[in-house]
Amino acid sequence: MIKIKQTVHNNRLLTVVILIYMVLAVINPDKAGQALNGSLYYVKEMLMIMPVILVLTSLITAWVPRKTIENSFGSGSGVKGSILSFLLGSFSAGPIYAAFPVCKSLLNKGAGISNIVIILSTWAVIKVPMLLNEAKFLSLKFMIMRWILTTVSIFLMGFIMSKLIKADDIPTGQLEEKEKNGDLSINSACCMGCGLCTKIAPYNLGMESKKAVVLQSVCSEAQQIQVLEAMEKCPAKAIRNKVS
Amino acid sequence: MDIFTALFWIVTLVWFFVSIAKDNKKTVNALKMSGGMMKGMAGEILAILFLIGLIMTFVPQDTVRHFMGESNLLLSTIIFALIGCITLIPAFVAFPLAGSLLDAGANLVPVVAFLTTLTMVGIVTFPLEKREFGIKFTLLRNSLSFVFAILIALIMGVIL
Repeated sequence: MIKIKQTVHNNRLLTVVILIYMVLAVINPDKAGQALNGSLYYVKEMLMIMPVILVLTSLITAWVPRKTIENSFGSGSGVKGSILSFLLGSFSAGPIYAAFPVCKSLLNKGAGISNIVIILSTWAVIKVPMLLNEAKFLSLKFMIMRWILTTVSIFLMGFIMSKLIKADDIPTGQLEEKEKNGDLSINSACCMGCGLCTKIAPYNLGMESKKAVVLQSVCSEAQQIQVLEAMEKCPAKAIRNKVS
Repeated sequence: MDIFTALFWIVTLVWFFVSIAKDNKKTVNALKMSGGMMKGMAGEILAILFLIGLIMTFVPQDTVRHFMGESNLLLSTIIFALIGCITLIPAFVAFPLAGSLLDAGANLVPVVAFLTTLTMVGIVTFPLEKREFGIKFTLLRNSLSFVFAILIALIMGVIL
């Protein structure tokens, strides 16, 4: 029963939609059938493109050397830095909030304001797998046009922001950190619920309501190694482990 | 399956097999990650896809044309850009949603504005962004993105 409640809570929107369909099926079965038919077309199209996007996202995560790109920031300002930022954002996975901690760490490494804006915006709007989806459901021409215009806008925005924002406008360091379970903690606002960490470090990290949670603090060398690997692999850099 | 989708299947599958051959463990791990992410979004994606059917059935094309059509283009563009700012749905399903609106006779400009603000401007993620980058950065980035989203939309409307 608790499990059902949890499932419903995690899928509120879907539950509401299903309820609407059920009510509709009773009061006006014709319309319900019509709506279902219309949707099934999109479901079918989605099923055809979704596995490709899924696999492509994984391949990008596995093979694009993000660590190398991230490490070459700092010295790489100017055009090179901008291009690196653009590539980093284009070949990333996950929603924009997953980009915040990544950008923050780059900022601490010396990346400029304009590059941070470029990463955030590229990450949000023109990720490669998303472009595929756009070309499929709208059109190739539509996607290319929007890509060009958005790219130009993003570089302009980076330039404007770098003129208006100074480095000391941005808070430094980590703000309040709620340390639960000793030294290991999750920045759950940025966790995108991919569950990778729970597979790498199953003794210390688990999933709850689509977010990673700390099960127990690190208490052996083997666990320490797993947690460190999970921290490195986490696409949102949402795991923190204070070494005392 | 159209040529476009088929082409991407082929490219992705070739890359996939090369990847497996080169580093099996790395590939499987990456697949698990995006699989987990997808599982988290699956409910929302399905919900919106089924919502599209409801919208198409119950919102008459005339209404769509009236509110998102030629008349009041600037107003509807701004309204849809604002809707994009406050909604937080995966960009993934935004495209089929946008496609269905265009099929129903909506003008391109508000749809593009919606798509761009949906991902680039975040009212819901505002507090998070503010915590990391400060109020000035966040406010400026989001307002600039809003303005550019409308510009992009208007230019798209002229070209396409």
